[in-house]
Amino acid sequence: MKWINRQFGEFEYDPSHVLNFPAGMIGFEDLHRYILINDEDSKPFLWLVSLEDGEIAFPLIIPSLIAEQYEIAGIPETDTTILTVVALRDNIEESTVNLRSPVLIDNKTQMGKQIVLENDRYPFQHPLFVVAETAEKG
Amino acid sequence: MLILSRKLDESIMIGDDVVIKVVAVHEGSVKLGIEAPKTVRILRTELYEETEKSNVQAAAVPKSTAVEAARRLGKSAPAPGVSTAVQPKEKGRS
Repeated sequence: MKWINRQFGEFEYDPSHVLNFPAGMIGFEDLHRYILINDEDSKPFLWLVSLEDGEIAFPLIIPSLIAEQYEIAGIPETDTTILTVVALRDNIEESTVNLRSPVLIDNKTQMGKQIVLENDRYPFQHPLFVVAETAEKG
Repeated sequence: MLILSRKLDESIMIGDDVVIKVVAVHEGSVKLGIEAPKTVRILRTELYEETEKSNVQAAAVPKSTAVEAARRLGKSAPAPGVSTAVQPKEKGRS
């Protein structure tokens, strides 16, 4: 299948890789079908690309790269891919990661959802860089 | 906005499968019990708004900014455990 996205231009995807978000992403409730793109140029970011609105692609990162021992209670780890949305800024040092509102993808059913953690242990705006450096020192 | 008065243990229905019940009232705070289908997202408004704001901002950023951020992050290890990720076949690039 072919799709055109503002960020990636025209690309082909395998329909078996389509992810379904029945409730959509928060603030984007009308968009339900996504594909996850592992883009070589912007590793380690991944892109959750809407297959219904060519303007929409969310950059994501695996939270364990940013916050060591990132854990969500009650999530079956082996069957769930946990990703977090990255809010990049023009001034890149100010970029943040939303650790409070992770995106969960069920690897078996390919169903996805974004949740907001009740616990305020993780912030909505966690610095992308400061903490990465701290983690490397540790 | 529709405004309804409810007492302790009374409830309201939204549609035919969402029930909101007043479970406790204490010192200016109301505890609500909510029954709804699993697909219905239930969130405190401020948490929804905070996440929406961050999502809207994230979705607006050009890929070039991500490429620059990735370079500075310097973590080129492949994303582990993401079995559904696909590599796009982009036209006009090799």
